[in-house]
Amino acid sequence: MKIIGASVPRPDALDKVTGAARYPADLVKAGMLHAAAVFAHRAHARILNIEASGARALPGVHAVLTAADVPYNRFGLIVADQALLCEDVVRFYGDRVALVVADSAAIARDGAARVNVSYEDLPAVTSAQAALAPGAQRVHADRSNVLLHQKIRKGDVAAGFLQADVILEGKFTTGWQEHAYLQPDAGISYWEGEKLVLETAGQWLHEDRRQIAAMFEMPEENVVIRYAKIGGAFGGREDLSLPPLVALAAWKLRRPVAMVWNREESIIGHHKRHPFTITTKWGAKRDGTIVAAEIESIADGGAYASTSVEVLKCASIFACGPYSIPNVATDGIVVYTNNVPSGAFRGFGTPQAHFAAESMVTRLAHALGLDPADVRRKNLYKEGDIETTGHPLPPGVSVRAVFERCLEEKAARFALPARRPEPANSLRRGIGIACGIKNVGYSFGFPEQATATVELDATPAEIRGAIVRVGAAEVGQGAHLVLRQIAAETLELPLEAVRMVTDDSSEAPNTGSASASRMTFMGGRAVKDAAEAARRNWVAGAKPEATVQYRPPRTTPLDLETGDGIPNYCYGYSAQAVEVEVDVLTGVTRVLRVISVHDVGRAINRQQVEGQIEGCLAQAVGYALTENMPARDGKLLTPYFSTYLLPTTLDMPTEIYPVIVESADPNGPFGARGVAEMPLVPFAPAVAAAIFDATGAWVSDLPMTPERVLRAIEETRRRTTASAEALVR
Amino acid sequence: MESDGSTFEREGDGMIPTTFNYFRPHSIEEALLLLRQGEAAKILAGGQSLIPMMKLRVAEPKTLIDLQGVPELAHVTWAGGHCTVGSLTSHATLAADADLRQKAGALWDAANGLGDPQVRNLGTIGGACAHADPSGDYPAVMLALDACFIVAGEKTREVAAAEFFKGTFETALGAGEILTKITFDAAPRSAYVKLEHAASHYALVGVAVVLVMSRDTIEDARIAITGLADVPFRASGVERSLRGVKGNNVAAIKSACAGAAAGQDVRGDIQASSAYRTAMADIVAARAVRVATDPR
Repeated sequence: MKIIGASVPRPDALDKVTGAARYPADLVKAGMLHAAAVFAHRAHARILNIEASGARALPGVHAVLTAADVPYNRFGLIVADQALLCEDVVRFYGDRVALVVADSAAIARDGAARVNVSYEDLPAVTSAQAALAPGAQRVHADRSNVLLHQKIRKGDVAAGFLQADVILEGKFTTGWQEHAYLQPDAGISYWEGEKLVLETAGQWLHEDRRQIAAMFEMPEENVVIRYAKIGGAFGGREDLSLPPLVALAAWKLRRPVAMVWNREESIIGHHKRHPFTITTKWGAKRDGTIVAAEIESIADGGAYASTSVEVLKCASIFACGPYSIPNVATDGIVVYTNNVPSGAFRGFGTPQAHFAAESMVTRLAHALGLDPADVRRKNLYKEGDIETTGHPLPPGVSVRAVFERCLEEKAARFALPARRPEPANSLRRGIGIACGIKNVGYSFGFPEQATATVELDATPAEIRGAIVRVGAAEVGQGAHLVLRQIAAETLELPLEAVRMVTDDSSEAPNTGSASASRMTFMGGRAVKDAAEAARRNWVAGAKPEATVQYRPPRTTPLDLETGDGIPNYCYGYSAQAVEVEVDVLTGVTRVLRVISVHDVGRAINRQQVEGQIEGCLAQAVGYALTENMPARDGKLLTPYFSTYLLPTTLDMPTEIYPVIVESADPNGPFGARGVAEMPLVPFAPAVAAAIFDATGAWVSDLPMTPERVLRAIEETRRRTTASAEALVR
Repeated sequence: MESDGSTFEREGDGMIPTTFNYFRPHSIEEALLLLRQGEAAKILAGGQSLIPMMKLRVAEPKTLIDLQGVPELAHVTWAGGHCTVGSLTSHATLAADADLRQKAGALWDAANGLGDPQVRNLGTIGGACAHADPSGDYPAVMLALDACFIVAGEKTREVAAAEFFKGTFETALGAGEILTKITFDAAPRSAYVKLEHAASHYALVGVAVVLVMSRDTIEDARIAITGLADVPFRASGVERSLRGVKGNNVAAIKSACAGAAAGQDVRGDIQASSAYRTAMADIVAARAVRVATDPR
């Protein structure tokens, strides 16, 4: 192996840091028309009238488009329940009701401001609890507010609690999180003969094409999606937001049209990470064996379905973390509300589930007077264990090795420095650990495949080069280089001899999305198989090319009542140790050091794996501590970076130790699993445990803002004082 | 010029101000004349608050009078124990002034912690004071220094800091008046400490402290707090409680600072609740006092 495992530098890095790389907004050319959307800016209302004559009268305005202009006015990744332009009802602040197309962006926005929409406000459902209340207003008149109620039943949870020596209950809440990709939503669209072309950013060429072709009732092959450079995605570009709007304008006016959202439009206009309320009860025996867990998870899915049902199922199967528990009952419910839609975001329901589960495991250990590491050792999954869904885990269960490695690193690197002796110093340090499990690839029977084509440039004597066609979105994670490395290694070619064709839906086959930490595994396996097949053809004297569709081991839907099913074909396992410093007088918390251990199966490009770990940890720091996104009556209160607090360099830990464990997956290319989402999975509960270690207080709400940390410290102090007084009496 | 603005804020596009006339006078007299004559005229100092407000069209002056052509307004001058700071002095100039750190640490602290480097390079002390942001740092410092504001107009007048800040974005400056200088006595035992908003660096709670010490004992104290109410206020209860406290008696300082926000209608918003701000006033006050007890 020469190329696999090497830290090959990114070929796109120089262009990206010098500004030469062309992101979607860089594609706007003189002479194009510009589109601007009219947003609803209300949570729930009936559209009575759209008065657009003022906008149409504005010099430079070419058209004001409304729902009537969209042939099939529905889209959605799983359920097509969202209108491109609302025809009768708006269901959240960021819903779009009209599109103004004009000579310039300024005129288009000016025109959008002159579109007067009259509404009749409807009662708004602005929390998951309100959506579930008896007699609650329906968000969609034709269906229940409950998108999915998924149950999982394993063993006998009542009998399990009877065996328990200690039973703990906990309630956890988590908030929305904004993807905050650097490159705001943008795109251009135009006709090329009979074909409608859309150049934009996304995560899955062929799925974008499917939904957009359906909206304009066109054959899929007449819609061409081309991805420009993509400035981050994190799940935030899985749902269509801006792209079909600009496509509508070009389709309708038969002119090239550009559209660029500013940050506020991006934040209100695309989906977020699901807020969860998790109510749990866990029981364990004196020796630390966890015997029962009961978990109710309620998620706010917002106004449209997006991928909510899949996120909820992921949160449900990981509700016990990576632990084998004989008796489990989980109830997961995700509902429609008039809040911003929730959907895919790095981790896909798993970080929320782990925040509760991993916090509960540590609390159980404390209640039993045991070391939290020992309780984990006692209960962690091992090879052949049965998931809560009733079937054995996919082979290659490495979480124990990952955890032990984390403990070794922690012992070596986190020998606790002496606490400062000065009594007035209000800074306290603490260490926390947590483990994680997250699927690689699609789950629950969702059709999973990746296709790649390899064309060899070969003489009878030698293979000189190769063209790899693979419809993989390069969202910044480095997929194109990894796939190229896999092709080069398989064909024993230098990297430069492999040319990648990746960004055009008419030139590259469907490889599935850049999501679910799957592209290295799935895209890589398809490329590897296609390269091997092409070489076999060459050896046999046939045309030296091949197209291969790789399909992984099958998964199945979960039974609604019992959860029975085969959820996944591959898991990534993680363990982290973090050190925090808490100012116990202000609640201000800093993460000082992180050890982040991940079984990635095989690091195809070591530097990129480490980059993924470090980048993901930045998002994890934000999720755990700073990124508070409150809403009032359906309106997001932090639609700007001046109010939504992303972590900056100064908020990052001074020491990050990314640790790569390589326990090969039987199906992944060269044994690779996935890494993209993994560091977000155990991070928040590791920080919560570290805050507890530092202060004696548990924080059960994400993000753990200074105010929440301080409140937890003060409540703990009050309780301790009260119980001390009770003892005296 | 093409706007990259948004339909998000209906009032404006967030990027381009309305049209205005621009003047760059070369003397205060000329500036005063323009101010009297200009329609809806505003003074432009460093522009770090006014320009963003104009872009958002929260402010729509018809006439801008840029003081950057009057460089004699930018200076820090000491005469004995008395300091005069020109209103056009930038935050960066103050922040880099080692002498100021020793003689008026509270002002030096505020200048160092204000905004980001770009804001500190362009923004001015006079502009920030005249803007009177309720979360601004200087108003508290001015109150604690018991500073005096020299105001040019029909006639020059002096306004004490306690009279200068009237409300949110509201000062004692009249329509035809320009703040030219700020004067105060040396305060070698002074400090300004804040708990800040991570993005803007505005004070969630900011406390300025000026102490008079006799050996290691606090004889007198002026404590002023920003970020909590519409205007900065003196924490007179804390000031009284600090008298006679030893500078190294941490427990006594902490207990003296309890209830720093007593009697105030403390603001709460998405950045920090009223209860949190109230509690933090005590903590930040105690920290500021402790910094101020030592020579800087």
